[in-house]
Amino acid sequence: MKRYFTFYSLLLLLFTVFVALPVIYTLFSAFFTNPNLASDLSQLDFSTFTLLGKSILLAAIIAAMAVLIGTGLAFMVYKTQLPLRRFLRIILLVPLFISPYILAGAWNGFFFFIFENVGFRSSYFGLVLVLTTVYTPLAMLIVGSALANISAQIEESALMLTNAKTMIMRIIIPLIKPALLSSFVLVFIFSISNFAVPAFFGVKVFTTEIFTQFSAFYKHSFAIIQSVFLILICVALLMSEYKYLADAPFLSFGNRGLSTKLYSNKKLINWSLMFVLLWIVISIVLPFFILIIQSFADGVGKLQEAFNLLLPTFADSIILAFIASLITVIIGFTVAYYQVWQKRNVRIFNALMLLIFVIPSTVFGISLIKFYNHPELNWIYSTYAIIIIAFVGKFSFIAAKLLTNAIRQIPKSLNDAAQIAGLKSYQIVLKILYPLALPTLFASFIISFIFSLGELGTTIMVYPPGTELMPIKVFTIMANAPQSLTSSMNLIVFSITLILISVFSFIAKQFFNKVNYANY
Amino acid sequence: MQKKLLAIFLIIFMVSCNAKQEEVVVYTSVDQVFSEPILKDFEKETGIKVKVIYDTEETKSTGVLNRLIAEKDNPQCDLFWSGDPIRTIVLKNKGITTAYSSPNADEISPVYKDKDHQWTGFSARARVLIYNKDLLSEEQVPKSIFDLTKADYKGKFAIANPLFGTTTFHIAALFTTMGDEKAKQFLADLKTNSIVIATSNGDVKKRVVSGEVACGLTDTDDAFEAINEGANIGIVFLDQDSGFGSLVMPNTLCLIKKSPNGENAKRLADYLLSKQTEAKLAISCAQMPLHKEVVVPKGLPSLDQIKPMEIDYDKTALKLVEIQDYLKNWAEN
Repeated sequence: MKRYFTFYSLLLLLFTVFVALPVIYTLFSAFFTNPNLASDLSQLDFSTFTLLGKSILLAAIIAAMAVLIGTGLAFMVYKTQLPLRRFLRIILLVPLFISPYILAGAWNGFFFFIFENVGFRSSYFGLVLVLTTVYTPLAMLIVGSALANISAQIEESALMLTNAKTMIMRIIIPLIKPALLSSFVLVFIFSISNFAVPAFFGVKVFTTEIFTQFSAFYKHSFAIIQSVFLILICVALLMSEYKYLADAPFLSFGNRGLSTKLYSNKKLINWSLMFVLLWIVISIVLPFFILIIQSFADGVGKLQEAFNLLLPTFADSIILAFIASLITVIIGFTVAYYQVWQKRNVRIFNALMLLIFVIPSTVFGISLIKFYNHPELNWIYSTYAIIIIAFVGKFSFIAAKLLTNAIRQIPKSLNDAAQIAGLKSYQIVLKILYPLALPTLFASFIISFIFSLGELGTTIMVYPPGTELMPIKVFTIMANAPQSLTSSMNLIVFSITLILISVFSFIAKQFFNKVNYANY
Repeated sequence: MQKKLLAIFLIIFMVSCNAKQEEVVVYTSVDQVFSEPILKDFEKETGIKVKVIYDTEETKSTGVLNRLIAEKDNPQCDLFWSGDPIRTIVLKNKGITTAYSSPNADEISPVYKDKDHQWTGFSARARVLIYNKDLLSEEQVPKSIFDLTKADYKGKFAIANPLFGTTTFHIAALFTTMGDEKAKQFLADLKTNSIVIATSNGDVKKRVVSGEVACGLTDTDDAFEAINEGANIGIVFLDQDSGFGSLVMPNTLCLIKKSPNGENAKRLADYLLSKQTEAKLAISCAQMPLHKEVVVPKGLPSLDQIKPMEIDYDKTALKLVEIQDYLKNWAEN
């Protein structure tokens, strides 16, 4: 016990010092050592809060739609005998691999190509459509993982006593409630923090306002003060989620060692297939149709040019994302383990991760610069370490959320039984918890990896001079490059991401087989 | 054995210490496709390693400019190469730049240099109107910026967000040239005429090329880039005959105060301010040289062929700060 307590404490200490302290220092400076504080506060008026309300509403709509559609998709690809369901699960994740900004451009191109509809460009519809399609896979992944963890015995027993509708309402939904809530919270936070897509569609929201204060007015302290509102909202949401989950009649049972029930009703399969294919067309085929047309508009030469431009960025981008994702998953797993199985109070760690997750990328970047840009810390600031810190800071929260949700669904009784049998804590973690959580560990790794590989907002603020990373190269080249070159670069980034995920999946499958997860 | 290992370690240590390469750190808001070849050439010719942070107008140069401001107390950057005078003047006003008078800038007109040598201009762009030839005939094309308030162009005309980049400088130049009252009336008339506000100049270009709008204001490099890409667009320098001319915006560079590689930064500044660099930028991105006698590609106007707006860059930068709240309100409401 002592050994893990030490490890947890060490992680908390390292995360606090290297990741959170820069932001805390910046926030502290904005409020307590800021000579313009009175002037900054006086600029907060009714319009600030109206804008905040509008941003909350939009984020809530996007989160509700993503969870609704994501849950439907999750049921279809995780709980039915849908043909090629494993393949479809991966295909449905595709929008997550692509920068929302690229998808926004592709959708705009599609609407203009088909309908010559210029109104799409400055519409709330565009914003909601793009962010919903981007974040639905996230909801699907989380809810799908929860659905897959429901033991067949439970459902079959329930179906012997009642009909399917009652079983869904009384058994399935309560069981996946944590996943539904987690999905909503995550998508909400992602949506309310997103800058690129509302900026593209010309929709004024809170993040675009913060960006304007930074980049047009150079009012750093005011922008930081504004960003505190985003943090407060997300913290409040998370706190209410904690409270709700604590009060909810949540039963923790079912595990990946037991098989889950797959429904094979023909009508259900047909409807599911139609819905899944329709969603694939909407979220993937249509935007990619435009992207591919644009890529080859000037022949295949642009693809070669794009490849040559991106070639020097591959190794560093992949290695950094890999290292950061490993650290992220270790942090997430440790926090989840302590929260769920050890019933420790991990709120400080969670709050710190949430703080970094919700703070606008520019504010995080500025915080890292102000904190690390000192001669004695050049070994961090002028090296790749600063990028790893940025990635770990941005994405630890997601890994922790995913893993907490997964570990909640592993029977706590296994821990009790192992303890009675005399196993030590580290043996319980390595021999029981780790194998059972392995699929979610892998999913968390993949999500952290994808997000790290594409992170732009903070990276562009802190990447060391002379280094080249994939998203930065794409973004800095695309400003004045022909559309065909930009689309080609995006296609290459997408393909590289897909290849890497396939490689990781292959390796992971071999690994899962060793720990009896052949069915994953 | 231990002595041998120690000797090897010492040799490696000494070699690595001596091998510290000459370098210069550059932050630039000039698009990478145009700036990178120039900086690579400098590296080849001098052997000085150039470490670069690129940014782009698409991000409103938030990355490099905010980074330079945040790094003020411990600068990492030696030289900032900006695509316009606005950002270097912001840095100058924040006390981040240091003076340098390059001998290669002697022939450049004082209009394009800071009187205290805090920044120096070279290769210029101009603000132009681009139009989609499928949507507007030559006769229908606006000749003056004031034509854009006419009903013929209602909802058919775009500019980039006036809070950022060269558009904000253009609007500030209009204020200094026309006076506040007339400029505000002009902007109000544009709003009444359903002007489309795009995210950036590149976005204006894309909208005109695709036909989303018939015409738009952008910079010459975007305009010529579109033509090189085969777009069916035309370019017009507005207000040439009887008006106040077109806004000319030079690239600017400044050295950063207390930077780690000051001498190498001066060598790079000299290189960027040379006729050779101006000739390269004229070819790669249609920028107009500020040195005379630099050969420019066919079709590219030289500065003596266009009528520039007569403005004081420092005063315009100050006006820009003054009108920002007004512009924010104008753009968002």
